[in-house]
Amino acid sequence: MSVRVLNPNAEVLNKSAALHMNINAAKGLQDVLKSNLGPKGTIKMLVGGAGDIKLTKDGNTLLKEMQIQNPTAIMIARTAVAQDDISGDGTTSTVIFIGELMKQSDRYIDEGDFMLILGQLIFFEKHDMALLYILFPISSTYVGCGIVRMHPRVLVDGFEIAKKATLQFLENFKTPVVMGEEPDKEMLKMVARTTLRTKLYEALADQLTDIVVNAVLCIRKPEEPIDLFMVEIMHMRQKFDVDTRLVEGLVLDHGSRHPDMKRRAENCYILTCNVSLEYEKSEINAGFFYSNAEQREAMVVAERRSVDERVRKIIELKNKVCNGTDNNFVVINQKGIDPPSLDLLARAGIVALRRAKRRNMERLVLACGGEAVNSVDDLTPDCLGWAGLVYEHVLGEEKYTFVEEVKHPHSCTILIKGPNDHTIAQIKDAVRDGLRSVKNTIEDEAVVLGAGAFEVAARQHLINEVKKSVKGRAQLGIQAFADALLVVPKTLAENSGLDTQDVIISLTGEHDKGNIVGINQHTGEPIDPQMEGIFDNYAVKRQIINSGPVIASQLLLVDEVIRAGRNMRKPT
Amino acid sequence: MKELVTFQVGSYANFIGSHFWNFQDELLGLVEDAEADLVFKNQNIDMDVLYRTGENHQGMPTYTPRLISVDFQGSLGSMSSHGTLYNQNSSLSSGVTTWLYDEGQEIGANNANGIDKASVESHSEILDTDVVKSLEDGVQFWTDFSKVHYHPQSLFELNGLWMGAQEFNNYRIGRDTVSEGLQGDEINERLRFFVEECDHVQGIQFIVDDSGGYSGVAASLLENIEDEYTNVPVLLYSVRSPDSYTKAANRKQVISRKLHDAVSFSALSSLCKLIVPLGLPSLSENRASQFLNLQNEKPYHSSAVYASAIHSITLPFRMKRVGPAGESLNESGAMDLYEGIQIRFRLVNLQPLTPETAHDVEDLQAIESMVVHGVLGAVREAVETAYENTSTRPRFSHVSVSRCPLPIPLPFPSIFGNLVGRRGELLSNPQSGSGSGSGSRGSLDVHSIPMAARLRSTTAVLPFLENRLNNIHKLGIERGSIGADVLRDWGFGKEEVEEIGESISKMVLALDPQQGYSSDSD
Ligand SMILES: Nc1ncnc2c1ncn2[C@@H]1O[C@H](COP(=O)(O)OP(=O)(O)OP(=O)(O)O)[C@@H](O)[C@H]1O
Ligand SMILES: [Mg+2]
Repeated sequence: MSVRVLNPNAEVLNKSAALHMNINAAKGLQDVLKSNLGPKGTIKMLVGGAGDIKLTKDGNTLLKEMQIQNPTAIMIARTAVAQDDISGDGTTSTVIFIGELMKQSDRYIDEGDFMLILGQLIFFEKHDMALLYILFPISSTYVGCGIVRMHPRVLVDGFEIAKKATLQFLENFKTPVVMGEEPDKEMLKMVARTTLRTKLYEALADQLTDIVVNAVLCIRKPEEPIDLFMVEIMHMRQKFDVDTRLVEGLVLDHGSRHPDMKRRAENCYILTCNVSLEYEKSEINAGFFYSNAEQREAMVVAERRSVDERVRKIIELKNKVCNGTDNNFVVINQKGIDPPSLDLLARAGIVALRRAKRRNMERLVLACGGEAVNSVDDLTPDCLGWAGLVYEHVLGEEKYTFVEEVKHPHSCTILIKGPNDHTIAQIKDAVRDGLRSVKNTIEDEAVVLGAGAFEVAARQHLINEVKKSVKGRAQLGIQAFADALLVVPKTLAENSGLDTQDVIISLTGEHDKGNIVGINQHTGEPIDPQMEGIFDNYAVKRQIINSGPVIASQLLLVDEVIRAGRNMRKPT
Repeated sequence: MKELVTFQVGSYANFIGSHFWNFQDELLGLVEDAEADLVFKNQNIDMDVLYRTGENHQGMPTYTPRLISVDFQGSLGSMSSHGTLYNQNSSLSSGVTTWLYDEGQEIGANNANGIDKASVESHSEILDTDVVKSLEDGVQFWTDFSKVHYHPQSLFELNGLWMGAQEFNNYRIGRDTVSEGLQGDEINERLRFFVEECDHVQGIQFIVDDSGGYSGVAASLLENIEDEYTNVPVLLYSVRSPDSYTKAANRKQVISRKLHDAVSFSALSSLCKLIVPLGLPSLSENRASQFLNLQNEKPYHSSAVYASAIHSITLPFRMKRVGPAGESLNESGAMDLYEGIQIRFRLVNLQPLTPETAHDVEDLQAIESMVVHGVLGAVREAVETAYENTSTRPRFSHVSVSRCPLPIPLPFPSIFGNLVGRRGELLSNPQSGSGSGSGSRGSLDVHSIPMAARLRSTTAVLPFLENRLNNIHKLGIERGSIGADVLRDWGFGKEEVEEIGESISKMVLALDPQQGYSSDSD
């Protein structure tokens, strides 16, 4: 056993100080975020320098807005934000789980001195792992009873075993959802509702539930990963009402730029293209290359002619498909269209939009059919898509173009209306979470019982089965991990204003009887999440269990962390 | 009409930009001001090139810069990122009118009455002198001295960085910040918002403080521009504040900075049509500041000088194309021939604002574009004559002349020396300023100045290029070089580092075919 006298050795002191700093930082971040968790979590209001406000209940949004300085807290925050990038949810849970792992570790490390007093040196078989710290002025009564801190490696090993066991347990615990041709819509709705209700008040959340589920089902293609970018999220600021709807089709945030173009057109062919319809040679370039004015003039004319030619080809196609019918023709272009070209198109009765979003090229084709063309050379009617209705909506200086009544939409738009920016932002965040939850469910083909049910069950499993199967000190790590899992139901209870002790006792009691229960957020009574329809994503849970202990372990093995990270400064 | 879209990325870029827009705002105000000098009323300048017309939610018309500014969260001080025009409760902020004062009148009044102490005390009104003084006392954010209304899409704050400006210090961090998550997309969307409105974008002017991570941010945004707006030319100013030259704390920092400079320059120059490095280590000691009295340590001061240069350079992009008749508007007789003399005097004194350049080079291949504004008389001829007597006559030269001088807005710093007169003329006797500092005169004393500025492509920039080239070779490419780790940390593999070296060496070759990189034997 390596024994060091504390005082003369600054290095050792630093290590333990750093460890404590890490534990405190993790606790600190946990304290900030824990009141967010669950439907009863509180909304945080962030106020900017100029009085700009932002409301959020979302761990991810909150973290990004915070000015975090402490390197440990930054590490945890990065993990949590990565959690959101990967699985779309669970940021808050990740932060509080890491915080709790650190807290529990702290407890066990401190219990080290207790163990020594009780003479349980059995935990320190591998002597080089443990450091015996002898406090310097040792009063005579305590001679021989220094504080022993076991190397955190002891805990970390236990974490690793517990993590593996919990992931295995999750595999058995999860509720499989069969995704055939027609996914179980009720199940999708329950998952979406669970997520949305953690972010918005119930009535609003419930209104969004159907929208979110239908949006994902709209873009889903069998045998392909779901690309949520094919759901456009568009917002409008409107004075009084909060209203969100699903547009089967597309809403573009711009309109045509010619006064004579129709503001509303029915039965429309849609040409989706990425073709420059503007005069492009910049004057600055031209100035140097052409020695005289005529030469320059000639170049200008030639360039104009080739632009006009491209416009003419589009008009030709329009005439071909529309002549003799009352069909309309709409051009949606990713590149620019200059006023002379707009003039030509308007005269031919064509509605034209320029500078469409790159992603809308893809979305338009999925919504309306046809294909996105990069050149007008081989235009055929097959390139064209179709929409029953295209109309413009003007709001102050903002214009919107609705492309609706499409035949087989594989792309759609969620249109959010709200009275101010922060309401819109909050709904937008919730919608994103909701969409992710539906996508995850379809791809995971499974869900996990929520309201703390999984965490309590996993904890009981670890304590009753796993811990017993392991010998020696690793048991401690498993115990710490298992207790840390309880932070989720505990925090849910706390946020509902309930007594956490009582709640945990009754939950674990039920589980020991073999009943899988979660917490009723109103009464604290055990409930069956299955009955209540409270389901979390499997991928999210998995990711939390995976990343939490990794980061906690790094933070516990503190001297390794300092050397590793590029952005890490030595804690001071 | 040919629109310009402006980008300001990073702290010092926004300081410069803030002054730049103050000039524009001042010009706009002077057109409407009954008492302003006639040169300001008949300006031949089309402001629509830089500004957009819009309408807020109350149906009020707005006129705001076509601008995207990117900076750290919290760098906007007391300004809302939504600007002031589009807020629902805009009535709250309408009380703050001090920045939108009417220059001619108020200054006239104050100068006539002197500083009326009694009125300060009786109605605690903010006087112009108070504004000037408080700005001289301390500017923290670029918004402190901005008098411009911005569009809600204009001001973008980067969040989720979780680090101080000192750590946001390299190309890589910047790139990662905008490419991860949605922030890059969001900025690009804002650009699309401004471009979609344009009938014919003539170009993008891009000011970036590339001393740290914002270089990577800019590169990432420029790549999007290259993809989406392929034929839209970008004029890029890479700017440095004097404090970006402060002595490095240790050897590692020295190396890291040198490499960053090379990496940043190579990346940015490949993504624009024209790159103009701006920002001397010390402006106050430079001959460019002969008649100025500025304090290097204040970004508020030095940025005003660079902003005025950028203002001058952009004038030709927005001059209305009128026939020769434009020249005949001589009613504004306030200025006279003596200005013509003045211009000749200054021409020889044009000083580079680009760091690390050679002096007195003879370059027969030079290309330049010169802008002279605020003077009357036969400017072109004056320039011609001036060149006749020098050996630095460029191969191509383009001269633009405007009669409109640089207006000095109230929040302009007190950086003029005591020989600068009310219209920017040089006085024979020193005049003290009404500002706080004894030797310096500010916006209350000087109302406009005539200016000349030129962009010049010449071999004088070779030292700038060679320094970067040598650094990347010595520190990054050569066997066992000490900087290789740093570059690897930034995500550059061996080949990429070599490419950086090659791209710079190509530029050197283009300017000086004899030299090439092979002569690195030293
Ligand atoms: N009706 C409910 N009753 C009890 N618990 C619930 C209920 N709905 C959700 N929960 C629980 O709330 C937790 C999720 O809360 P929340 O969504 O606020 O945090 P998160 O997903 O960890 O982080 P974030 O959503 O901020 O990224 C899950 O553990 C879930 O089981
Ligand atoms: Mg959640």
